[in-house]
Amino acid sequence: MALLNAPVLAVLATFALFALQLITLRLLSLAPQRRPPPTPRQLGTPAHLLIVLGSGGHTAEMISMLRRSNTCSKFSHRTWLVSSGDSFSAAFAKEFEQEMGEKKGTYRVVEVRRARKIHQSLLSSPWTCLLCLWDCLRWLRPSSDRHYGYPDLVITNGPATATILVFASVLLRFLGLQGSDGAGEMRTIYVESWARVKRLSLSGRLLCWLVDRVLVQWEQLQGAGAGGRAEFKGVLV
Amino acid sequence: MSDAPLTRSRKVCFVTIGATASFSALVRATISSTFCHSLEQHQYTDLIVQYGADGHGLFQSLLQDVNSQQEATGINVSGFGLDTNGLEQYMMLAKTGGDSSGAEGLVVSHAGSGTILHALRLDVPIVVVPNSELLDNHQIELAEALAEQEYVVHGRLENLSQALQDAEKLRVRQKAWPPVNSGTHRQTRGLAGVVDEEMGFSVE
Repeated sequence: MALLNAPVLAVLATFALFALQLITLRLLSLAPQRRPPPTPRQLGTPAHLLIVLGSGGHTAEMISMLRRSNTCSKFSHRTWLVSSGDSFSAAFAKEFEQEMGEKKGTYRVVEVRRARKIHQSLLSSPWTCLLCLWDCLRWLRPSSDRHYGYPDLVITNGPATATILVFASVLLRFLGLQGSDGAGEMRTIYVESWARVKRLSLSGRLLCWLVDRVLVQWEQLQGAGAGGRAEFKGVLV
Repeated sequence: MSDAPLTRSRKVCFVTIGATASFSALVRATISSTFCHSLEQHQYTDLIVQYGADGHGLFQSLLQDVNSQQEATGINVSGFGLDTNGLEQYMMLAKTGGDSSGAEGLVVSHAGSGTILHALRLDVPIVVVPNSELLDNHQIELAEALAEQEYVVHGRLENLSQALQDAEKLRVRQKAWPPVNSGTHRQTRGLAGVVDEEMGFSVE
């Protein structure tokens, strides 16, 4: 009980308050609205794009968008992140890369454990989400041979796994882990599914707080989500 | 079943329930004598059903029922569970009938956005039947919105014959996908524009 005398308590309280302030400030500085504008860079300089293929319709939409926007070739490195066992998405990624041709830089297809399987009980999902988070952190960090650094840009369109990946990127930035000199900033773009016409998905509503850009594909969703941040730039798929 | 007579060009109706969830109601509604008779009325020759990983038993029993009907139809019914090579070849069959003499057929699909997109790209008519067995069914929204803009036919399980008729109308005035951006969004560069902004790539 001697530990809990008044001066010690006061010191502890001061530290706690101080730490709380620091954490709050740090969190605030991570808010997408407060992020500094992107560092200008030349096309053709090394750049790393991470694409999340969420399976099924999510994957189909993502591939379709990437094909239409013709934007992958601007990146020298690409990481395709798929959920474990999703051989369809992995095959789509490889096919897409083959179409682009090998002179367009390097790519890798990596797997994370699924955040939540269809029909999985809610009780066990915190554990599987944690495993998924662990895997996401691993693939966001630079590869051991340093060929792949922190991603410069992350594009996702859901579902749960993608949400956890974005969360992992925020966690890394909270800890001060990211690239330097404007590279490896892990800026994030979330594209809401084309199938969402009237209301954002749960992933969409959550990610409005975290990602740098939120894109929707139906005009009536323009301005939806936290802070009215959803942008409609035409149909993207 | 018997081969289609040579005078009739091949016209394929391809039904897909997707790879993720089961949708036995759509399999039941399509492998039925009612639906096969409607197909016959619209000069179809083939019905191909993708019935999902766990649908084989159901498919077999339905096929038996259809074949044992007194009034057999001339529709050639076949099916498969999943195809790891994707659905491309079946979509193409629905589009072309398989050869130069074939007629453009139809895709009947669960309302998965991937399948809808595929059909729109191929420019083959598609009937979209939302899976009412799913819990959070936002697929209905997509089906309704696209049907309103006359890109797809919104099919209902209870009345797929009507959907077949609507699909014939859709065939006549099919619209191209992707849509041309209009109004305030004409200038937008879509995803490419946003990527450039976030990466700080200068736009010339």
